Amino acid sequence: MPLRFQDDFLKKLEYLHVVSRREFAGQNRADRRTPKRGRGIEFADHRPYTPGDDFRHVDWKAYRRLNRLLLRLFDEEQDLPIYLILDVSASMAEPEKFDLARRLAAALCYIGLAHLDRLTLLTFSRGLAHESSPGRGKGRIFRVFDLLERMEAGGPTDLRASCKEFASRPRQIGLTVIISDFLDKGGADVGLKILRTLGHDVFAVHVTSHADRDPGALGDVRFMDAETGELRDLEVTPRLAEAYGHAWEAHAEELARFCGRYGIGYVRADAERPFEEIVLKAFRQGRFLA
Amino acid sequence: MTFGAMAAWQAWLLVLGAAAAAGGLFLLKVRPPRVVVPSLLLWTRVLDESRERTLWERIRRAVSFAITVALAIALAIALARPARTLRSPAGGGPAVARGRVLIVLDSAWSMLARTRSGETRWERAVAEARRVAAAASGSDVAVATTVDGVIEGPTSDLTSIDAALDRLEPGGGTGSGWPRLSGAEVHFLTDGALARALDPSVIVHSVYESAANAGITAFAVRPGLDGTAAGEAYLEVANFGPSQQVRVTVARGGTAVLERHADLGPGEALREVLSLARGGAQDLRVRIDAPHDALAADNEAFGWIQDARALTVAVVGAQPGWLGPIFSATPGVRVNFARPADYHAGDEDVVIFDRWAPSTSPAKPALYIAPPAAAWLGQDSDRIESRPQWTAMPAHPLLAGVDPLTFSIDRAHVYAPPQLTPLARSAAGTPLIWIGDMTGRPRTVVLAFGPGDSNLASAPAFPVLIGDALDWLARPPAVDVHRTGRASFDAAITRVTGPRGAAVPLLYLSGQRVAVLRAPGLYGEEAGDARASFAVNITDPDVSNLARTTISASHPAVAVSAGMSPRAWWVYLVFLAFGIALLEWWTWLRRITV
Repeated sequence: MPLRFQDDFLKKLEYLHVVSRREFAGQNRADRRTPKRGRGIEFADHRPYTPGDDFRHVDWKAYRRLNRLLLRLFDEEQDLPIYLILDVSASMAEPEKFDLARRLAAALCYIGLAHLDRLTLLTFSRGLAHESSPGRGKGRIFRVFDLLERMEAGGPTDLRASCKEFASRPRQIGLTVIISDFLDKGGADVGLKILRTLGHDVFAVHVTSHADRDPGALGDVRFMDAETGELRDLEVTPRLAEAYGHAWEAHAEELARFCGRYGIGYVRADAERPFEEIVLKAFRQGRFLA
Repeated sequence: MTFGAMAAWQAWLLVLGAAAAAGGLFLLKVRPPRVVVPSLLLWTRVLDESRERTLWERIRRAVSFAITVALAIALAIALARPARTLRSPAGGGPAVARGRVLIVLDSAWSMLARTRSGETRWERAVAEARRVAAAASGSDVAVATTVDGVIEGPTSDLTSIDAALDRLEPGGGTGSGWPRLSGAEVHFLTDGALARALDPSVIVHSVYESAANAGITAFAVRPGLDGTAAGEAYLEVANFGPSQQVRVTVARGGTAVLERHADLGPGEALREVLSLARGGAQDLRVRIDAPHDALAADNEAFGWIQDARALTVAVVGAQPGWLGPIFSATPGVRVNFARPADYHAGDEDVVIFDRWAPSTSPAKPALYIAPPAAAWLGQDSDRIESRPQWTAMPAHPLLAGVDPLTFSIDRAHVYAPPQLTPLARSAAGTPLIWIGDMTGRPRTVVLAFGPGDSNLASAPAFPVLIGDALDWLARPPAVDVHRTGRASFDAAITRVTGPRGAAVPLLYLSGQRVAVLRAPGLYGEEAGDARASFAVNITDPDVSNLARTTISASHPAVAVSAGMSPRAWWVYLVFLAFGIALLEWWTWLRRITV
């Protein structure tokens, strides 16, 4: 499926930027505040002069008033490291869901690149599958689109192994967005905790579709797990179907509660909702975009 | 238990096999449709939760399995046609000895009388017959009726006995005589309406139950005696119940000719004589309606007015006037005279050719008087016998009442028609009267002498001969049949049709044509090209009087109680299977909806 967006939608995206609830140090100058003091334009603090400091940063007004040499410190404004981790396991293979996930990833990439954030796109299933080199600037967006268009879903989900693999490599701490259905037999909580423990500001985008929430059949049915190929014969009565629906809702609520408890942003994206509404409304309401 | 369709071991094997097959099919899972889901994670979670299962959910599969097996067993047993082996008189079933059993059902019309329980005596008798047959299971059983004789068996196959009992129906009281089956124990199921001399060994099962009834006990039509009317009808309606008003309707064709409401006391009868005018329809129908009337079969009677329609005769000849006075004195005959050049075959019943003959034999019954030479007559040219003398007259309807001595014949033509038969000959052997009576061809009479050759015009026997000839040519022999049951017919009758137009089988028995007339109504008969109708009625006081029976204490009878007709087991088993299938269907629905 092509991931090109309409021009007017792209313009709308340019007005948005990814919200990070913490400040992270970047590599290049940009317009994100960082915890570093440096050559920004916004005054941050004073410190005593020490030999070797640049005389141009001495606050002469303070010297005249206090008779002490103080240096003026400014906030360093740099780019924000954004890690976009996309679930490409077989459970995401359902076209509606996978398309939504890819379009969301594309939109977030565009927003990040437009604001000169340093964006890294990763995919995972049983482990990290693909990782693009970090980049910034809108000029990279077409490469991202091509990459997303070529992606295919397959393999089982193991978020824990994937996050461990993510953590095993040296990276700058930054904003990490996981787009997934979080249908992980090992549980999504361990993986998310790992990312949180590393110090990342983590956002979970929970992609769902009708096929996830509804059994889709009544009577005797042989269900096949898309990831493992496991078969299970079931006699789906309306009562059982209802129980399944409740179980799914409980699963989603449990994930949302977990994210709330650990300070992880959580946004649910249903494939049945219009895409623009998810990006422009749901993400903003979830304080993920501003 | 015995089985009608197969040996017991085969039946039980079938039952076991069916149960095993049904159970196996139930347990053999049909591959369900495959649905790919993103993950079984949530299904596993749902199923692993300790869901509270209802009692129905816990037993439903077992119930469904049991129902499936029961369905297979019921159908398998039904297929094997089971029968009970009841042999306990004390238990209510009829006592039947081992050996052959002959079940005779009384075919009298009174057996159609309704009892207080709503069933007819006949239905009660059939039910008892089934019980007797079931009690004699394993023995050879035969079923007979008093009108048809033995109609099924002897056989040990109760299925065929059941089937025979299903197709039986009353057909009048008398028939071929008492059915016999050597060495058999005879069970006679009767209401005793008609008296019968029974062997003391016959076990009588009485289905008699007194009932009030009004019925037509007599209805007959006879020709008019004064020549002005076509005939007259005699009607008798009797009341064998409490005082009641009986409505009597007599219709001729579609027109009512009598409608009366008669108040008849117990045992009283209404008697009417109806004059039937000439012209109009020939069929008569009587119907009565009464409030206390247990037997419907005797509420209707039929009559046929033979002389209602005038016989049409065409006389063809150059000088046929000499025949005029003869026909003018004959009632019921309409004559048209025509010259040979003007004659065209019309709708006349009979043609008389006076000293003239067409080149081919006509398609109508015809009387030829001294016809001239014709190829089909095979006349030996110019051969004439002078002053022939009659010899002994054979017995034939054509010559009934004809005195040949009144004929004075000067000369007779000598014919040799290949398709005709000489009826009367001269002393020298010359045929004087020829007749043709071949199946599928119209009847023919040829007189070898004419008015110019004899005193035919003035002979006293000639009007009788003409009358006989017209009757023989156009009217088949009268049938002396008034009742249902077995009837004998004249040898000339070639076809008998029933009230609905269907042919009644004609049999040759002991040199007679015999047919069984099963239902009252108007029947038709054909002889050559002549057709006639006759009425068959029940009209029997012994049948209509449902308050009497000939079963007496001298011949004790087993009283048959009212009750539903016991059907063969397999019928109930099929119903049971249907019910079980419904139950299984409901179970399936419950599976889907609960």
